[in-house]
Amino acid sequence: MVNKILPTAMVLALAAGVVHADNVTVFGPWLGPDQENVEAVLADFAAVSGHQVSYVGSDSFEQQVLVDTAAGSAANVSVFPQPGLAADLASGGFLTPLAAGTADWVRNNYAAGQSWVDLGTYTGAGGEEELYGFFYKVDVKSLVWYSPENFEDAGYDVPQTMEQLKALTKQIVADGGTPWCIGLGSGGATGWPATDWVEDMMLRTQSPTDYDLWVSNDMKFNDPKVVAAIDEFGWFAGNDDYVAGGAGAVASTDFRDSPKGLFSSPAQCYMHRQASFIPAFFPEGTSVGEDADFFYFPAYATKDLGSPVLGAGTLWGITNDSPGAHDLIAYLQTAKAHEIWMALKGFLTPHKGVDTSVFSDPTLKKMNDILLGATTFRFDGSDLMPGGVGAGSFWTGMVDYAGGKSAQQTADEIQASWDALK
Amino acid sequence: MRTDNPQRTLKWAVHLSVACLVALWIFPTLGLFVSSFRTVDQIGTSGWWAAMFPSEQNLVVRTAKPETQLKIGDLYVIEGELFAADKDVTLLAWGTSSKAIDSYVAGEVGALRKGGTIQVDAGGRYRMQNTQPFSGSRGQRVFATVTVPPEFTLANYQKVLFDKNNVEGMAQAFIATMTVTIPATIIPILIAAFAAYALAWMNFPGRALLVAAIVGLLVVPLQLALIPLLKLHMNIGIGKGYLGVWLAHTGFGLPLAIYLLRNYMASLPKDIIENARVDGATEFQIFMRIILPLSFPALASFAIFQFLWTWNDLLVAKVFLIDSSGQTVVMTAKIVDMLGSRGGNWEILATSAFVSIAVPLLMFFTLQKYLVRGLLAGSVK
Repeated sequence: MVNKILPTAMVLALAAGVVHADNVTVFGPWLGPDQENVEAVLADFAAVSGHQVSYVGSDSFEQQVLVDTAAGSAANVSVFPQPGLAADLASGGFLTPLAAGTADWVRNNYAAGQSWVDLGTYTGAGGEEELYGFFYKVDVKSLVWYSPENFEDAGYDVPQTMEQLKALTKQIVADGGTPWCIGLGSGGATGWPATDWVEDMMLRTQSPTDYDLWVSNDMKFNDPKVVAAIDEFGWFAGNDDYVAGGAGAVASTDFRDSPKGLFSSPAQCYMHRQASFIPAFFPEGTSVGEDADFFYFPAYATKDLGSPVLGAGTLWGITNDSPGAHDLIAYLQTAKAHEIWMALKGFLTPHKGVDTSVFSDPTLKKMNDILLGATTFRFDGSDLMPGGVGAGSFWTGMVDYAGGKSAQQTADEIQASWDALK
Repeated sequence: MRTDNPQRTLKWAVHLSVACLVALWIFPTLGLFVSSFRTVDQIGTSGWWAAMFPSEQNLVVRTAKPETQLKIGDLYVIEGELFAADKDVTLLAWGTSSKAIDSYVAGEVGALRKGGTIQVDAGGRYRMQNTQPFSGSRGQRVFATVTVPPEFTLANYQKVLFDKNNVEGMAQAFIATMTVTIPATIIPILIAAFAAYALAWMNFPGRALLVAAIVGLLVVPLQLALIPLLKLHMNIGIGKGYLGVWLAHTGFGLPLAIYLLRNYMASLPKDIIENARVDGATEFQIFMRIILPLSFPALASFAIFQFLWTWNDLLVAKVFLIDSSGQTVVMTAKIVDMLGSRGGNWEILATSAFVSIAVPLLMFFTLQKYLVRGLLAGSVK
């Protein structure tokens, strides 16, 4: 038994260790259907460039990439879901700057190009600022999902302003319904959906400059402006009548289960604020655009802040330098690389040169229009904050807030944890 | 009689606590097992205990699309069945608006918001009619309150084991797991058996200290060694791969293996070994001919431990084995992959749990008679 298996396994081990010169490895956070989609894009890259490309996804990307870069076993290209993580690695000298000219390309070809360059530019180990990350595939977060037929049955209209949205919320309660489904549960990341709410509220109550100051902590977390934004979220989530299951259920409901209330019979709620990826968790057979639709999470008409959009995106960085890795980043700048995934599912892009008619369904086009029509685009703030806050005390703080703690106390505690990191 | 009483109470207490512990383990497993036969929507809407009985449910179903309408006389008519023919459901109440889902009982005629009427009978057969043609791209929603008999599906197992997108990856993952597990079980046993014999029966200076150091190593968490060890592997050219993961598992498993086997071997009768020495046997002969056969229960019990631990391991495999070539993905990692980027596919989780449990169960039942004997013999003299 031992004699038979050991040699076979040894041979396998040796084979796995051989490195091909033209092998480009990609490591990212996507699994399941997203993995099939990214593999379709990479297959085209392989066909065009002649390189061999392989992709591996992981649900614990954030931890694994740290181990792999520290040990020197990282893939050629890593796909970061959070710019903060990439910035950390860049300052540790684990990322290779992108080829010269990439920044100019992004500036000229992406909508709001400069902001994408800024988000991918970090200070390297030597102290010089360079472009390390290339954004490809973005999500829009400022969306409210609803069932058009339920709105028809009850005679409601899609609100155009935040004032109308609040009036509609009260109207639904007066009619005996429940307006919102809100769920913050997400295993170890419980609380993150609430950070999106607060960020959206910041953009709708304060200027973009204030938002940037808040994200960099030049404006304290317990500043009255931030506390007011948290309370704006509390206006929706903290009222037993406004949320399915009552305010107490917000923190304990899983974010993946919470949109299902839109489609239950009788409907548990009428609206659900969540990013563009959420249709993956709608009940089987739900057709987006017919059974479910979305509208832009509106801005206050009385505040002159335009129509701000909150988004997120994945950025591709080189964690193990090779000519093939640079070829891949160059390939991602072609319109074809974007159009392949656009024709599949769940892909939005700020690339201005793509043919938007290839989107697989009209709702994606509608989302992309929200993205392209934004007067202000801001990246998910919690992803930009240091990990200990943006993926730590901000999350847990929002769970405490949903559990009944005051906004001021919550904000004080998050600021204290931020101070402790400095 | 009086002397019997305390013992009897004790016996009852033991039986009761054993029964409690067994129930504590069986109950969640049973829930997982039932869940693995339910669809994702069923899992999302009701608990597994509700799956065993007929239940009252609120369903949303649709009539046929307007394009299927027929013109009969002056009327436009759409007819059909709300429920699939093989479903044995009983309609209790129904409605056409999400605001009033139970406004009609079976057989009643209801008005449609856009004009016309609809009638639904207890079996789910409906008839919509209107003087104007029906328009729109979708059928009318009907909210039905029905009693549904228990329903189970094999689709989850189909998806995990035989889905054509999966089957190749799953088979590859099974082989990868076996390639990790078998050497990672055998190598530590080989090394530990020699070490344990030396520590138990050979006299050399510093023996007690060495044993103490090995016992001390048991408390070192393996997470501490992940990055330094991987760095070492990268520097000496092993890289990420099977050899690396075998070495890692061997290293992490050795302290327990040596400790367990040494205790067992030390408890073997001294006379046999001394007799053998007097008869002129070398240490190696004593080890091979006497100690090893006698230690079989301890070897088997450690093999079970090590096999289960390496079979279920995800952390060590992710750090030392799975590189971006994607050729060495083990079962645990494959199962996590199937949960999707954002998790939440409970039906896959429940089903995969039972698929991955099969081999360890087989292993446990074939070797379980040695497990208790091996453990007890090492500790109780």
